[in-house]
Amino acid sequence: MPDPTTETVRLTIDGTTVAVPKGTLVIEAARRMGVMIPHFCYHPKLKPDANCRMCLVEVEKMPKLQTACSTPVAEGMAVRTATTVVDDAHKSVLEFILANHPLDCPVCDQGGKCDLQDFSHQYTPTTSRFTETKRIFQKEYFSPLIETQMNRCVQCLRCVRYCDEIMDVKALAPVGRGTMTEIKHFAAHQLDCEFCGGCIQICPVGAITSRLSMYEYRPWMLKRADTICTFCGDGCRITVQTKGNELIEVNSAHGAGRNNGDLCARGFFGFHATSHPDRLTHPLIRRNGALVEATWEDALEYVAEQATRLKLAHGPDAFGGLISSRCTNEDLYVFQKFMRLVIGTNRIDSSARYGQVNGVQALRRVQGTHRWTIAFEDIVTADALLLVGTNITETSPITGLKVKEAVKKRQATLVTMETLQPAVDTLSNIVNLAAQHFPTHPTQFGNTVIGLIKAVIAHNLVDATIAQQAPAFVQRLTATLQASSWEALESATGQTRSQWTETAQTLAAAKRLVILVGNGVLRQPGGQGTTTNLLDLLILLGKLDQPGCGLGPLAEENNDQGAVEMGAVAEFFPGPAPLNDQVVRERIAAVWREELPRTPGASLTNMLAAANKSTIKMLFVVGENPVGTLPAAAQAKEALAKLELLVCQELFLTETAAMAHVVLPACSYMEKNGTFTNSEGHVQAVRQAIDPVGDSRPDWEMFSALSVLMGSPLEYGDAREILKEIRSVIPGYGLLGPTPTPPKVDHTTLTRYLTEGFAADVTARYALTPPSRRGDNQFTLMFVQTLFHSGKLSTRSKGLLQLQQEGFLSINPEDATRLGLTDGGQVRISNARGTVTTTVKVRERVPVGVLWFPEHFDGEAKQLADWTIDPQTQIPYFKLAHVSLAKVS
Amino acid sequence: MANYEPILLKNMLQPGYTGSLADYERAGGYQALRKVLGKVSPSDVTAVVMKSGLRGRGGAGFPTGVKWGFLPKDYQGPRYLCCNADESEPGTFKDRQLIERDPHQLIEGILIACYAIGAASAYIYIRGEFVLGAKILEQAIGEARAAGYVGKNILGSNSTIDVWVHRGAGAYICGEETALLESLEGKRGLPRVKPPFPATHGLYDKPTVVNNVETLANLPHIMTRGAEWFASIGSPPKSTGTRVFCVSGHVARPGNYEVPMGITFRELIYEQAGGMRSDKKLKAFIPGGASAPFLTPDHLDVKLDFESVAQAGSMLGSGGVTVMEEGTDMVWAALRLMEFFYHESCGKCSPCREGSSWLVQIMRRIVNKRGQMSDLETLTDLCKNIAGRTVCAFGDAEVSPIMSTLKHWRHEYVTLIHAAETANLIRPEPAGAKH
Amino acid sequence: MLQTTHKAEIDDILSRYPVRRSALLPLLYLAQREQGYITESAMQEIAGILKLTPPQVYETATFYTMLNLKPVGRFHIQVCKSLMCALVGSDTLIGWIGRKLGIKPGETTADKLFTLSAVECLAACGTAPMMQINDDYYERLTEDKLDRILADLRQTGASALKTGPFMWPEPNGTRQ
Ligand SMILES: Cc1cc2nc3c(=O)[nH]c(=O)nc-3n(C[C@H](O)[C@H](O)[C@H](O)COP(=O)(O)O)c2cc1C
Ligand code: SF4
Ligand code: FES
Repeated sequence: MPDPTTETVRLTIDGTTVAVPKGTLVIEAARRMGVMIPHFCYHPKLKPDANCRMCLVEVEKMPKLQTACSTPVAEGMAVRTATTVVDDAHKSVLEFILANHPLDCPVCDQGGKCDLQDFSHQYTPTTSRFTETKRIFQKEYFSPLIETQMNRCVQCLRCVRYCDEIMDVKALAPVGRGTMTEIKHFAAHQLDCEFCGGCIQICPVGAITSRLSMYEYRPWMLKRADTICTFCGDGCRITVQTKGNELIEVNSAHGAGRNNGDLCARGFFGFHATSHPDRLTHPLIRRNGALVEATWEDALEYVAEQATRLKLAHGPDAFGGLISSRCTNEDLYVFQKFMRLVIGTNRIDSSARYGQVNGVQALRRVQGTHRWTIAFEDIVTADALLLVGTNITETSPITGLKVKEAVKKRQATLVTMETLQPAVDTLSNIVNLAAQHFPTHPTQFGNTVIGLIKAVIAHNLVDATIAQQAPAFVQRLTATLQASSWEALESATGQTRSQWTETAQTLAAAKRLVILVGNGVLRQPGGQGTTTNLLDLLILLGKLDQPGCGLGPLAEENNDQGAVEMGAVAEFFPGPAPLNDQVVRERIAAVWREELPRTPGASLTNMLAAANKSTIKMLFVVGENPVGTLPAAAQAKEALAKLELLVCQELFLTETAAMAHVVLPACSYMEKNGTFTNSEGHVQAVRQAIDPVGDSRPDWEMFSALSVLMGSPLEYGDAREILKEIRSVIPGYGLLGPTPTPPKVDHTTLTRYLTEGFAADVTARYALTPPSRRGDNQFTLMFVQTLFHSGKLSTRSKGLLQLQQEGFLSINPEDATRLGLTDGGQVRISNARGTVTTTVKVRERVPVGVLWFPEHFDGEAKQLADWTIDPQTQIPYFKLAHVSLAKVS
Repeated sequence: MANYEPILLKNMLQPGYTGSLADYERAGGYQALRKVLGKVSPSDVTAVVMKSGLRGRGGAGFPTGVKWGFLPKDYQGPRYLCCNADESEPGTFKDRQLIERDPHQLIEGILIACYAIGAASAYIYIRGEFVLGAKILEQAIGEARAAGYVGKNILGSNSTIDVWVHRGAGAYICGEETALLESLEGKRGLPRVKPPFPATHGLYDKPTVVNNVETLANLPHIMTRGAEWFASIGSPPKSTGTRVFCVSGHVARPGNYEVPMGITFRELIYEQAGGMRSDKKLKAFIPGGASAPFLTPDHLDVKLDFESVAQAGSMLGSGGVTVMEEGTDMVWAALRLMEFFYHESCGKCSPCREGSSWLVQIMRRIVNKRGQMSDLETLTDLCKNIAGRTVCAFGDAEVSPIMSTLKHWRHEYVTLIHAAETANLIRPEPAGAKH
Repeated sequence: MLQTTHKAEIDDILSRYPVRRSALLPLLYLAQREQGYITESAMQEIAGILKLTPPQVYETATFYTMLNLKPVGRFHIQVCKSLMCALVGSDTLIGWIGRKLGIKPGETTADKLFTLSAVECLAACGTAPMMQINDDYYERLTEDKLDRILADLRQTGASALKTGPFMWPEPNGTRQ
């Protein structure tokens, strides 16, 4: 990739002079001036391999034709792409490539969008001189979701190179040699990999295609909608292709979106979730104990009537609202406005509560912005990267690709603190790319970070300016850290002082340092403190406000960030602004022409507790399923059973919806317009791809309709009108353009933090977490995200279910051997909370003493989890359990 | 028959010479190394080699000293020497003899080259089939290590040079220097796109020199006897020294003959190799391995040096001279070589990969009397479209048998095609037919 | 497991290269030596040792003709059929072997003793026709010599007619 800051080179292409950055390839320089040089093996993402020989051009003073894809420009170079010699060369290479090709375009899924077809159309005569026997490969079963037809392969190796260079998965092998080279996995085994779909996307012909849409379409029959994937916080641009109202295929064009055309299995193969036959299609009202179909009018009127009655009888704070942060900003905004204005309560919360709020709060407190001060581009160009508790490949795959690019293409130094062991298997493992890795027990992230900060101070790596400007801060940290001895840190974490030192030096030496924090920190007790400490680390190194430096908490849901910014959480108005922020309160009141409620908000756990005590009587639940997702200890079921009115807006009849008095069928993201805000704070357009399923409606529309019936109309013509209003409440929202300029550190806030703010909880934040003592058979069970699923939707996707369809326990080989467990065997997991039997999968990447269970198939297993609520932040933690194991024979 | 002083074969021509370290030392072995290590500066060694005019014996004939000179001067970090002992060019079998009969001569050459280029490790990439050669080399390296010629602090000079044998596993292309490097890195042997050249980005992306066995075996002699001596042998100024020519085919005494460059093919074939094996006359010969275009009796007086053979429309290549007598079917001969190239095409570049399979199929048809006149034009076209359009020189090599036989013996193709026409056999082959 | 039976040898191989993957061909040879061909589990184990994925091992293993991914006979006869050998009778040699053993190139005898392959140039063009059987070269073959070699192999598993350190012509002008 040419760096725009480097010098430019002037050359002529077909007589026209162009200036391009040094290092640009001739093929790219030509493309910039609109000259398309035919090619197969070249792809801007990949290192040149120049194997197809299609892109030959004449370069003055060179005796032979040169491949434009591998020749960098040079000053004064004269390139000719349209001479007879070049044209003949293109024809002849194409003749070779077509020689063994089966020419089965009529039955090829690539037909109509195939490079080979296009170039053939351009270059070759309709007859072929090739009358010999064509090469034929035996058809072999390749994989559940990916189909190969190797006779069509042009052996450009783009698929293989993508899988290696971009994904770091290395699942594809060119097997054999010469004309008989074919792309396979391993021996006769079917493909087992990350199923990112990258090979399908990058294959220039129809050799690798998706089984989900096999033989279902011709490209020209398809309608396309560019929208945003909802499976994680990365916010990938996807193009949804439909035939009639049917979802056919999802892909992402090179260069498009924050993901630059790359996707993960969820994005590429997960799209069928929303067309699952179980989708709710009609409103349901509980009559005589059973939910029965109703008209929208009946259902809405019923809700409005009941809500009005309850409000009169018990006041607005007898209401609560819970919304999923998978909703659009527009849904979230109207939801909170409805709750605050029509109902008159601040008792609302969203799934951003589970982790994202921790990150946002730390950022706000220290740097005065609730967003990353970095963007994906900064990850790619970082000199050093520190990943803490992310298992980024499985939780935020595309952010993970940026990290891989930084390390593999630009030689960035990667430091990882993860509950992961370096191991090579079918999924890539970010730790394999790390220069320094801290294998970290799930309860020990805080301590491991403390060790690093202690090393920074102990080895005089504190930035001189900071030491001078904030002596109190530095001294207090130094003193506080003295309380924790190296011995105590080493014994709690299992790390060594020398490794902390080495890492501290590495990070201090980096000019551009990016820290990414994931679920392992954000969704665990102490998450906010540890995130704040990591910001302290950046401050100490003098990098917090430096270009290219910053800390990014990784959002779990696609619109976690938006939910916070729309004010759909207990502690914030839109902005986000704290409930006591007078200026914002007034600004919003001016737009809403209505006073905002003054009573405090209530978090998810508060609301459940209040419902249990019957102080909350009515709950609006939008896309959330507390009964299904929280362990029994949360008492969600009991609480909801006591409600006088439970209204659920849902896609499916979840455990929670099944308890509702009224269920309103909602549109999925495929069926509506709006915006999502990704991890890095980029606001992106969501566009409707298909008509709403059944009678379903966008969530905002339902609130809008209810507000009319309840006498305080919130009326919007469409999602765009809502966004307009959002912009008047949050100036500039969603106008950030294709590459957002991230906000800068607010120095007033920072100074306040450094002079006094930090002191409030510094002792608590830097106190060591005691290690969880392991008994003989004591394991720490983690409920983790997996690459193939990311929530309630994904488990309805027929594609993703083919990759993973049930829970299983991942265990380290050493532990497995000790307990006599083998792959596929049965094991009993138990603790005081209960016992669960499940299947075992032995994986080297799982650390000794730790177990993983996929959280989206946790079923009964989730009952084993510890249930704690942070007294300060009200955040519930339920992703760890301490258990013992026994083999089931 | 003229007698020439053997240089590379000298030791092994002594009766009873076993190639052991003792034998080699007795014959003056490792004196060059002693003379050079720590006493002559690496750049002076390079200068001597440059001055000697030594050119690569692997095929391309690139001046060895000049190649060494391409290594970055100020590069900190490892550099590597790779000895190309892949010897896979059909018609060539000299490196095998140099390795099996006088391994220390090669090892000494490797050590001198490593010293000159500043490499602490050398890998001898030997073709997998040379099991015996690999064993002999391993043994000899062991002896040399024990005697302090290989390893740390060689001969007290502070130089560290390790030499390892790395066996290939059956792939002609791995003789191409960048494919060799890929293979040595544990990958498929596909040639790399150049630039960058191995001199800057070679083994493990580090500065690397790849030299042929025979090239390296010359070094001890050049260092002992001087650049001027070497430059005076052969056909100066461009083709200096001797070469070990491998004569095969229909001659009376096939085998390896070391002669100064510049003698004629006539002399090599008729005096050294004893002439034709029967009273059938010479019909054709390949002057430099399978990749070199065929020549005719008209070329017998061409001199065996790089320039003369190139002028005659072929190349000196690897030094494999294959002689064919009257009665040899030239189309069949070209097909045999084409089959070799088809089998060995690594598959990286489309023209070579697809072209070789296409060419083989057409050639088989013609030989099986199922050809047609238009095939000749197609053959010519395909050859032209392959040559010069691939990553490595394999593409140029694979077309030379067909191009040159078509040039000199077109009538034989025509005869076969006419036979097909008379037999009324022109028809497409049944689908899926095995040849 | 190679790692349990050949630990020292594997360590020695690994010590020769600064980058692990370079040990791939040597380790594949080791696996082939142990079982006569390279099994899937061997490839998996080697992948583990070298920190490669199994497909990475597989793609390399399938590129090289000397690595057998399927079992071959106890004696793998490889006859060079390239032009230089063909000029002086390699096709005849293949014919002889075919008649004597009842197999064509690519086939193995029923007793699993011999596999015949016709291969490309083995760098013995001056001493053609020739063949390689397992590690050894046999050159300047005649029908009579072939008979003796096959008989030797059947009886003792080895034959003294194999080529020693190669040189041709021999210095003293003697001919085998
Ligand atoms: C297809 C191909 C095969 C080659 N095979 C060999 C070979 O077997 N042995 C060899 O020494 N050089 C071979 N070469 C030449 C090498 O690429 C390289 O030029 C040589 O090893 C350099 O050594 P030299 O400069 O000492 O000749 C081959 C080249 C090509 C293009
Ligand atoms: S399958 Fe497609 S991408 Fe892969 S090598 Fe073949 S043509 Fe290229
Ligand atoms: S695009 Fe340049 S060689 Fe393939």
